[in-house]
Amino acid sequence: MNDIDLVVALFLLGNLIVALLAAARGPTAADRMLMALLFGTTGTGILVLLAQVMNIPALVDVALVLALLAAIGGVAFARRAWQGDGHD
Amino acid sequence: MIRVLWWRGLLFACLWWILAEGRLDGWLLGSIAVVAATWASVALWPPAAHDVRLAALPAFLAFFLTNSVRGGWQVALMALRGRGALQPAFLELPLNLPAGVPQVLMTNVLSLMPGTVGVELVAELTNARLRLHVLHQDLPVVAEARALEQRIAALFGVSA
Amino acid sequence: MTDWLSGALLIVGAFFYAAGTLGLLRFPDVYSRLHALAKADNLGLGCVLLGLALQAESLAAGLKLLLIWPLALAASSAVAYAIARRADRLGVKPWRKDAP
Repeated sequence: MNDIDLVVALFLLGNLIVALLAAARGPTAADRMLMALLFGTTGTGILVLLAQVMNIPALVDVALVLALLAAIGGVAFARRAWQGDGHD
Repeated sequence: MIRVLWWRGLLFACLWWILAEGRLDGWLLGSIAVVAATWASVALWPPAAHDVRLAALPAFLAFFLTNSVRGGWQVALMALRGRGALQPAFLELPLNLPAGVPQVLMTNVLSLMPGTVGVELVAELTNARLRLHVLHQDLPVVAEARALEQRIAALFGVSA
Repeated sequence: MTDWLSGALLIVGAFFYAAGTLGLLRFPDVYSRLHALAKADNLGLGCVLLGLALQAESLAAGLKLLLIWPLALAASSAVAYAIARRADRLGVKPWRKDAP
């Protein structure tokens, strides 16, 4: 089973790179915030796959924490740091 | 109150069991964490305001799962067809749910349902409404949002 | 049988991730891109988690994997709402087909 796990993990990694580049290109600040979403979903996906492939169960905990931080960090950023950034 | 404490404590204990992957050597720390979590949950989310009806939970989860699969499939097809498949619009939806957790849950779940993303929840007392971004203006989003509203109302045992 | 199902779920998951990225590349404005990421990527994650949970050694380990999903869902919908709301407040107009 490890073969499929590894292939899917690498596939997601490629996906993440392409999506991050696309989000970073903008054009608006809102588009760049999409990167926070990408880490939350694709990032966790890669981590859980790697936990299985490399047999490091602790990576599942890392994925859990990452998903949690994606929620807290994203909302906090949008609520506070971004306020008053009128020039998009 | 005692009932609520019992249920929440049980929930956090299950959570700890999962997080510890069933190992038994961490239960001293675990019981402290369970007590702390129960205390924090009562402090932050006092019981009785909006309690979830466990009996309504399976139906809600089934509804959520089917519709998030539909939503993902639909947006995947649109992505394959490109921007020609889109006819986006903003839509204002009056909410019938009580303010607080039910409205927030509605807003968040709608972003995972087919065709809609919540843009702004206006939680006014008499005129609560939700601004939505819709991927295609011909999608039956209002009917689906009403169905979701009914499910959430049943989940919290309120009327909508 | 379990292996077969698990592999199939992983591949379906990868498909949804790819669709999310494709939507991000092809959709015209930030609101539509939110749809692609919030829905397709989350479904992709759900499939991958379920696929891996089928391979898990114990019930608790499998449930732990599945526990990530509601967290990621909450994260995505909260962040998507925050982004859409800020974009709207900042005056980002949604893309219209008739007015390019």
